Amino acid sequence: KPAGSLTGTDHCPAEKHIRKWLDAHYDPVAGLYTFSSCVDLADLSGDGESRLVVGDLGSGLSGMKLKVFQGTALLSESTLLDLPTGLVAFFMDLHEPRIPAVAVASGPCIYVYKNLRPYFKFTLPGLEVNPVEQDVWQQVKEGQIDPLTMKEMLEGIRKKADVPLSVRSLRFLSLETDEMDEFVQLHKQQPIKRQTVITCVGTLKKSTADEDGVSCLVIGTESSNVYVLDPEAFIILSKMSLPAPPTMIDVTGQFDVEFRITVACRNGNIYILRRDSDKPKYSMELSSHPVGLVRVGKNVVVGCTDESLQGFTQKKLWRTTLPAPIITMAAMDLPTRGFQGVLVGLANCEVHLYRDKNLLSNIKTPDVVTSICFGRYGREDGTLIMTTKGGGLMVKILKRTAIFDDRDGTPGPPLAQSVRLNVPKKTKLYVDQTLRERENGVAMHRAFYMDLSRMRLAAAKAYVKALESSLTPMSSSLSEPLKMNAVVQGLGPTFKLTLNMQNTAACRPVMNLAISFLYDENLYRMRTPYLRIPLLVPGLIYPVETLVECTSDKGISDIIKVFVLHEGKGCPLLTAHINMPVSEGLMLN
Amino acid sequence: IRAPKAPELPIVERRNWLIHQHYIRKDYETCKVFIKEQLQETNGMCEYAIYVQALILRLEGKIQQSLELFQSCAILNPSSTDNLKQVARSLFLLGKHKAAVEFYHEAARLSEKDWEINHNLGVCCFFIKNFKHAEEHLNTALQINKHHKTFMMLGKVHLLTGDTDKAIDVYKRAVENFPENTELLTTLGLLYLQLGKYQKAFEHLGNALTYDPNNYKAILAAGSMMQTHGDFDVAMNKYRVAACAVPESPPLWNNIGMCFFGKKKYVAAISCLKRAHYLSPFDWKVLYNLGLVHLTMQQYASAFHFLSAAINLNSRMGELYMLLAVALTNLEDGENATRAYEQAVMLDESNPLVNLNFSIFLYNHGDKKAALDQYQEMERKVNLLQDSSSSAEFDPELMDMAQKMRAALQVADNVVWTKPGKDSKSKPNSAAATKTPGAPLGSNQALGQAMSSAVSYNKNIQLPTGTNFTFCRQECEWVKTHSRENVSVKLVQNAHSDLAWKSLP
Repeated sequence: KPAGSLTGTDHCPAEKHIRKWLDAHYDPVAGLYTFSSCVDLADLSGDGESRLVVGDLGSGLSGMKLKVFQGTALLSESTLLDLPTGLVAFFMDLHEPRIPAVAVASGPCIYVYKNLRPYFKFTLPGLEVNPVEQDVWQQVKEGQIDPLTMKEMLEGIRKKADVPLSVRSLRFLSLETDEMDEFVQLHKQQPIKRQTVITCVGTLKKSTADEDGVSCLVIGTESSNVYVLDPEAFIILSKMSLPAPPTMIDVTGQFDVEFRITVACRNGNIYILRRDSDKPKYSMELSSHPVGLVRVGKNVVVGCTDESLQGFTQKKLWRTTLPAPIITMAAMDLPTRGFQGVLVGLANCEVHLYRDKNLLSNIKTPDVVTSICFGRYGREDGTLIMTTKGGGLMVKILKRTAIFDDRDGTPGPPLAQSVRLNVPKKTKLYVDQTLRERENGVAMHRAFYMDLSRMRLAAAKAYVKALESSLTPMSSSLSEPLKMNAVVQGLGPTFKLTLNMQNTAACRPVMNLAISFLYDENLYRMRTPYLRIPLLVPGLIYPVETLVECTSDKGISDIIKVFVLHEGKGCPLLTAHINMPVSEGLMLN
Repeated sequence: IRAPKAPELPIVERRNWLIHQHYIRKDYETCKVFIKEQLQETNGMCEYAIYVQALILRLEGKIQQSLELFQSCAILNPSSTDNLKQVARSLFLLGKHKAAVEFYHEAARLSEKDWEINHNLGVCCFFIKNFKHAEEHLNTALQINKHHKTFMMLGKVHLLTGDTDKAIDVYKRAVENFPENTELLTTLGLLYLQLGKYQKAFEHLGNALTYDPNNYKAILAAGSMMQTHGDFDVAMNKYRVAACAVPESPPLWNNIGMCFFGKKKYVAAISCLKRAHYLSPFDWKVLYNLGLVHLTMQQYASAFHFLSAAINLNSRMGELYMLLAVALTNLEDGENATRAYEQAVMLDESNPLVNLNFSIFLYNHGDKKAALDQYQEMERKVNLLQDSSSSAEFDPELMDMAQKMRAALQVADNVVWTKPGKDSKSKPNSAAATKTPGAPLGSNQALGQAMSSAVSYNKNIQLPTGTNFTFCRQECEWVKTHSRENVSVKLVQNAHSDLAWKSLP
């Protein structure tokens, strides 16, 4: 009893009242890196026990493996030559006992395993090679042209031709001049090949709808084609084309009767292919990229990157928003109980189960789930298998008593409606002050007015004083409109005082200006207490510099007054008070 | 001797699917690792890897870098529309709308019936204020694919060109196609609200709330409509939801405050309004409502400060000056009150209340002739309102006051008041109206003691009252504006007739 070997504990915090899933197994360090498209369940030895077959991408660069699990243990693993893009178990013949084969799509090939042993390798037919390109290589082979000429010709082909260049020509184009010759010598003997890679794979029953009927393989390729392969002879039964490379594929029907292939493409659209046409029959434009594609009966459920789940037949039926980005999706089909749903793995470490747009169950997981597979594992029909981002493997079993009730339609008033508003209470003091204001409002208002008038008077006085003594940094006089600001630099005892003068008149220059300083001679010494200012051209800023030395060692500072004067006039045009910093240089001594 | 066997060159596109899978799963870090690997393997000839790299850079905000990469994609494969579209999109994000338009046109030459190109062309034209072309492109986009974004954009274009009817048509079509899209429902509802079609507005806003009970905009708009009808408790229920979703919304707290005011919970009203004021210190509507509530609480000195701050922010509203005048009257500053009233009647065009209050004020101060003038002006406004819409309703208290005034001034009745609707529930002050019927006329005659302050009214308005204005939050959504207006104006009337009433026989 293999299911018995799985421990049946249950501590799912999300659903305390109705526990639906039993935690059967969790290995956080199983080291699996895979997608839902590379996971399948199949009875590989014909003993009625389902195994888990996983196409593991290894590190993504190396260490790709085909792994088979039984119960909680790894049963076997064999090395794959390239990244697995898809994995399906399917019946390829009518032999007894009925044992399914495993097809692993990888690069341009399909590797078929039977009884867990390599059985057959199918390679996609090469793509059409540009005849002009072929011609160019022929010429270089015969020595008629040199590599540089060839480069020019290939560039020309790449820019204009409808048929893209082969890998060899592309690589050649990216080479430096000195590497070209060697490359040509090495490759010119081989015939030119243009190959594509498989992007997704699915299965299609050949002529019967039986559970163990013979299935064809349906392959989507980078060259935007879909092929249907005969399972026995591995010949191409049908070839169809799409407007963009497919990313996910779902197939229903029988090849000999009628079938429907739903393909999600890299351009963000979904296309439906039928038996009678080699072009898509319908297309559905999505507003964002599809991440998951699951068929439930006649409907297609698509999860998109805009955190939405959408249901389609030929047209959009419904849409619901999810709390986090979708990572992966899988169908949950439980024929014994007539249940069909969609499992959605989210980036917030939750797996949601939806029937149409209704959320039925929410499973919290310790890590982000990257692949989901639901079906018969061991002898247990309702098993949910998930792998996580950290490489973990998780197995949960659906309780036989679990009931999914459809909490449909209007979800009632939101919870927030019953939350009390956070209105701060007023204190006794506030109430007392209110009463005081009611009683003495008029007096308060008058007092306020009195103070306001005083303040205005004080402000006006200060303003007049500033105007009278030209204390503003702007001179408003019509003949000499000037602007000045002062900068003090240095730590002391010597400071550099920079006065930036600007003539703000439109076009008239200002002449015959001088600057003089007023300061405490006990504290400061100035090298040039009187400066003549050159002619000021309008708009330009003239820095006028002088050095100030602090002669006191008491660590005190004072104000230096700067006057901008016009020759022959006693009243200054501008006055600035500079608060000198404390001289740090002397304090250190 | 045979030449050494040439090594098999890896297929350029072999990891495209893997890059795509990680890209759509938003696992950009892993994605970048594979892109790097792929570009190394192919000497940078893998178009799709560069393409996704550019998309990721754009998501990271490095738009200029992404633009350069898209351009190199377009060099690798000049016949791809996607590359051109992305170049255009990056240009658009950089604000170079004209250049983007050029690239979109080029892309359109390669692929004819493309919704994305037409939609984005429309958006670009919208930004360079070429509304005519924007409309054309968006309509073409709609013919190809009825997308809700295109509907939204087309509606916006119509609204900006001032064609509200067309905008409504567009949104109506959009709602037919997307009956569950709350954004479209709310926009249409608000548009109806603006046009005064309350029934339809409420219908659409209600629908929006059915599909998304947390929709903040719809809650505010629907809540303000409920408030206008006096359904304060229902409105509060809705606001509670919004308060959880957007707890720092000034208009929300303003509306909640006015709900409490409607329920006569004045202290709570002040708490909420002060919070709204704290969150949005330069919003005159909040200040207006604060002034109103303080007047009701008989805190005239505080009311004066709030109202004069409101006037500083919006000096073109007669009702504000009227409220200020009421506050000043109660602060026994008759001189400034008169100035405020004068300013109010000068600015106001349609509110009879302003003239009625002024008339009462003048009567109380013994200027019967001027009072009569104001009374007649009020009658003129009432008649005007009744002419313009047959359903014009007046507050029963306003009518009551006007009748008392007429008796006091001894003039002939030449206004036919429309009967108030039976459902006019909002009479928060009707109790007060019957409580003190015998106050002597002109009880506020202590004008002689009025301040002989030299501070004139005009200086008054320049008062920078809000010394605690520490920060400013810019809010420019009209929904909010609307709900505030709606609420405050209605309540002003009630509160006002009450205040004016106290000085009448």
